[in-house]
Amino acid sequence: MSAASGRAAEPRHRPWLAMILVVALGAGLAVALIGLPREHAALPAIARRALVVALPRWHITEPVNEVVYGTRGFDTFGETFLLLAAVVSVVLLTRRREHRAGGGGEEEAGRREERAIDPDCSVADRWEQLARLAERDEGTGTHLPRTPDAERLGQPGPERAQAMSVVVRTAARTAAPVLALAGVYLAAWGYSPGGGFPAGAVMLGVVILLYAGFGRARVEHLVRQSRVEVLELAGAAAIVAIALLGLVLRGSVSSNFLPLARDPQTILSGGVLQAFSGSELIEVSTGLIIAVFALLDMRHDWASDEEQER
Amino acid sequence: MIVVNYLAAGALFCIGLYAVLSRRNLIKIVMGLSLMESSTYLLLISLAYRDRSTAPVLVGPPGGRSPAGLAHGNVADPVLQNFCLTAIVIGVAVTAVFLSVAVRISQHYRTLDADRVRALRG
Repeated sequence: MSAASGRAAEPRHRPWLAMILVVALGAGLAVALIGLPREHAALPAIARRALVVALPRWHITEPVNEVVYGTRGFDTFGETFLLLAAVVSVVLLTRRREHRAGGGGEEEAGRREERAIDPDCSVADRWEQLARLAERDEGTGTHLPRTPDAERLGQPGPERAQAMSVVVRTAARTAAPVLALAGVYLAAWGYSPGGGFPAGAVMLGVVILLYAGFGRARVEHLVRQSRVEVLELAGAAAIVAIALLGLVLRGSVSSNFLPLARDPQTILSGGVLQAFSGSELIEVSTGLIIAVFALLDMRHDWASDEEQER
Repeated sequence: MIVVNYLAAGALFCIGLYAVLSRRNLIKIVMGLSLMESSTYLLLISLAYRDRSTAPVLVGPPGGRSPAGLAHGNVADPVLQNFCLTAIVIGVAVTAVFLSVAVRISQHYRTLDADRVRALRG
């Protein structure tokens, strides 16, 4: 009922109450925001310190990187594991029922229960049949050519969702290596503020570009969870190791124990900062890939449809 | 006039909060939360700004100054830029968790209307 009436006028939840609360909060926020330091205020001491030590101590020209991986490295350390926790919860929430070879698997049990409660469940309408067929093709590509490139061009017939046209595929082929190289460069030379974080986002962009161009089956080997999870945990372990080695060798967490290059703007100029940034690239890119593809891979999950039974 | 940015960030936060409080569609609630997150990015980056400052990059300093001299000069606050970077990553992770919860709820209850998800209501 609400789905039908929802198109006409979207149901709201006590808009007047929300308005009162938001206006009150907004007034309080405005007072607080007006009292904040403005553009003429002096820089805080920690910012000034990061600017002063970046070049002499770490031989890098990026104070933001010095803050992310040096001065406030412990903060970044905690944030990395917050990202890991979020990825683990996405994986737990989106996982499919376990498919087991023998009897008694969750999937088979769910199907039996479905048949017992709703005998008509196997009679799907045309749209559902089409959707299930497309879903199966997307995953395994059973009766389609193994790669979209093997399909002859200019064929009649309906366009399939498996991959995009040859124009898009060629463009993706050209752009993906360039983007991947740019992503690694952002972290490896540390010229970009944040290093591994934006670089990880670029790597996710590369994988999504390939997914959009070539379809799920072709990127399967890139995003297989069992493989990407190992990489992500290796990145996290490397970050822990870097922080602990700093503690053991130099007496404080994530302090530098690697030799620094003499000149700034070389791959060795940041010492531990570069290693931290590179590990962060692995951790962030694989974490985001796992989260995004876990969401994309969510399949139909059977649950009792109580509203319809009544 | 950077205070205009502060107030815009506050307004963006309020718009997002209003969406979270008044909407019943779970996807729109997640969109409201994303708006609230982006208001914090705007606020952090605006707080980092200093009048007539350069970016906190110690290379190619303007006006013939040395990189070491630039460190003592007028630059934007790198610490707040760091906060913004980390906030973006946290925002992405949180949105992913919310969206997966929303998909599971829609599969289980066959609705995205938060008012119809009432299994806990006795």
